Amino acid sequence: MPETILKPEELQPVTDLARKTLEQLDRILLGRKELHRLVLIGVLSRGHILLEGLPGLGKTALVRTIGQILKLDFKRIQFTPDLMPGDVLGSHILQETASGKREMVFQPGPVFTNILLADEINRASPKTQSAMLETMQENSVTLLGTTRELPQPFFVLASQNPIELEGTYPLPEAQLDRFLFRVMFDNVDADVLNQIISERRRGELPPPTWQMERADLQALFQAMGKIYLPKPVSHYIARLVSATHPGAAEATGPVNNYVSYGASPRAAIAIAEAARANALVAGRPSVGFEDVKIVAPPVLNHRLILNYQARFDRMTPSRLVGELLNQLDETGLNLPKDVVLANA
Amino acid sequence: MNSSHANALQSFARNLQWLLTLRLAVQLATVWFFTWGVVVLALRIFGVQNIYWLTMGLPAVAPLALLAAWRAKKQRAPLTKIRASYDRINTCGGIVMAAETLDVDEWLAQLPGIAAPKLRWHNRRAFLMLSASAVFVMITLLLPNRLTHFPGHRPLEIGQIVGQLQAEVKVLAQEKIIDAPRAAELQKQLSQLQDDSLGYDPGKTWEALDHIKQSDSDEARQAAQEALDKTTSLAEAETLAKAMEQASDSGMNATTASQAAQDLASMLSAAKLENGLLNVQIPPALLAGLNGLNKEQLEKLLQGLESNKGLLSMDISNLANLKMIDPATLANLQAAGICDDPDALADYLSTCTNCSDELCMHPGRGGLGRGGPGAPMTWSDGASEKDLKFQEHSLPPTPHLSQAQLIGVGKAAPQLSGNDVSAQHGALDNSAAGGGAANARVILPEQRRAVQSYFKRDN
Repeated sequence: MPETILKPEELQPVTDLARKTLEQLDRILLGRKELHRLVLIGVLSRGHILLEGLPGLGKTALVRTIGQILKLDFKRIQFTPDLMPGDVLGSHILQETASGKREMVFQPGPVFTNILLADEINRASPKTQSAMLETMQENSVTLLGTTRELPQPFFVLASQNPIELEGTYPLPEAQLDRFLFRVMFDNVDADVLNQIISERRRGELPPPTWQMERADLQALFQAMGKIYLPKPVSHYIARLVSATHPGAAEATGPVNNYVSYGASPRAAIAIAEAARANALVAGRPSVGFEDVKIVAPPVLNHRLILNYQARFDRMTPSRLVGELLNQLDETGLNLPKDVVLANA
Repeated sequence: MNSSHANALQSFARNLQWLLTLRLAVQLATVWFFTWGVVVLALRIFGVQNIYWLTMGLPAVAPLALLAAWRAKKQRAPLTKIRASYDRINTCGGIVMAAETLDVDEWLAQLPGIAAPKLRWHNRRAFLMLSASAVFVMITLLLPNRLTHFPGHRPLEIGQIVGQLQAEVKVLAQEKIIDAPRAAELQKQLSQLQDDSLGYDPGKTWEALDHIKQSDSDEARQAAQEALDKTTSLAEAETLAKAMEQASDSGMNATTASQAAQDLASMLSAAKLENGLLNVQIPPALLAGLNGLNKEQLEKLLQGLESNKGLLSMDISNLANLKMIDPATLANLQAAGICDDPDALADYLSTCTNCSDELCMHPGRGGLGRGGPGAPMTWSDGASEKDLKFQEHSLPPTPHLSQAQLIGVGKAAPQLSGNDVSAQHGALDNSAAGGGAANARVILPEQRRAVQSYFKRDN
């Protein structure tokens, strides 16, 4: 593939689109700028996002707002233990045609949409959860031997409640790996709450003042493909993902002590794509190390499988990834420890 | 690529190369200094004392610098990594990295003015180690020789003893107790001993020194004994000469005078003053005409005897100053040099008409014998009672033997009843034999026979 790089005049319009999207998100949903940026990066990377947080923090509102801004179809499924795969994917029903014949007609499920909010996904049975696997990975649904493509773009934004875990089915690692990001929804501070109370009667969200056209979204996706990934950065991503495996050459002490299984190659791909999206949002035609450092934590924190020792020592994947990012030399220059680089 | 960025990148690469070279050079120099110091120390311990050759290690620092430069060049990071570091430090967002393969001049132009990243080397520890190693080398080079010798190669500290012996030999030579060649030979032996003495085998040195010391002491003791004999003879002769001088004034007859002169001559002749280690010279003219000496000649003879006594005393005093003879010998010599009172002998010479052949050898009255009841008692330094305090201690009364009553004779120890009083020992009561210092020995069975044979009495 010939290596090219976007010209400033080519990149500027799409960067403006991303900037406007973020502005709308920040205007409608208060106090979560970093989260909005990550969600936008996830959308641009065509990845699925697992939102984790307590009820009432605005997960559904975020997904609905994105759908509004991007002018994308939005559907929501509340996952329950008795939810069946057919309830998600759709099913064939017997219908009488105009000629009087009866035939099986496919009735699409809610998954046939652009943005699917899978609310409390860990409450569904493994059978139903696994039905999501193909849709998330292949963007298609196969029923009775017939494969049906999902409308593009297709994103799954699943939410998970970290409390009330009785009667839930934790997502298997294979399914977790299909999420690009796992984003934590934290509580907002008092100032934001005050702003919400004073400006949002009954919590109603203001409508977006600007919406992205489908063509603009396609332009963004096309620009994403032209963001240049320098070899030192791709090498850094590869080293970083490799270092999450215990016993690897550059694995840190905590990784060796606490990690049972490291991140998969899909994680490396996810980091590269997300870093590209971050560079695009930042208005740069190439990926830098700083982009990797921003997107690596949400990409890796649900992909590391820790051992029991980590539970005893209260070690979390987020802390592990943070220490790994601090200790791993980005450039591989491997300067002596007593020699440091400083900005002029 | 934009020229300013290219220049900054080149500057950064150059600075990095210099810094790594300097760092490596400091490390190599530190290692070299420590190694060199150890080698210098080892060489000095094993006998190499030429500091000039040992300092030849200093120029080796120059090849080390070249080696550091070569090694740093070999280990130089690829330009791609240097470019990546430049990009990262300046947060260029990968544009500088992309410039390696793509035309990104438009993007580079949008980047703010960027300077080469600064390199900081926390070199305190490195230079501390370098300084320590350099000081170590200096210390190893400047250490005194005596501290760099193994104990086996370290010379024995016998300078003081050799100096004392050399002084003794010098005095012996000055007093002509030993001849000059012998003195020179001893001096040479002492010097050689001092040079060749080794700490790891001091026995031979001490043995040789003891031998010389013993030799000197023997010579000195012999000289002292000779001086004592000759001084005694001189004193006796002096006494007789003084008596003759006094008797001549009192009308000593010619026969007695002649007899006394013969005694004096035989006395001086028997003393053999001319022989031995400390020869004494009496004017031959006086010795030849002893029979007819007038008063003036007697005076001269007395002066000669006196001066010779003084010379002998001075010689022995010199030996005593070096502690070559004991103070008792010196005191004896000084006592022997005191002339006896010649009055009695002068009276005897004046009054005797038919003197015996050896009139001067008569003991007792007029004789020169020093012993016997008639000899005058000579008091030396008496004990002083100053500052002495005596405590009176009255002894307990002792029952008189006349009050004793024989009640019987038994072989066993007396049995005392409750009313009997044990014998009182007076001042010796509760005292132990030998002041309590007696050493009680347990005789082992194998020693018993030897002890019994020792105390065995023939009768």
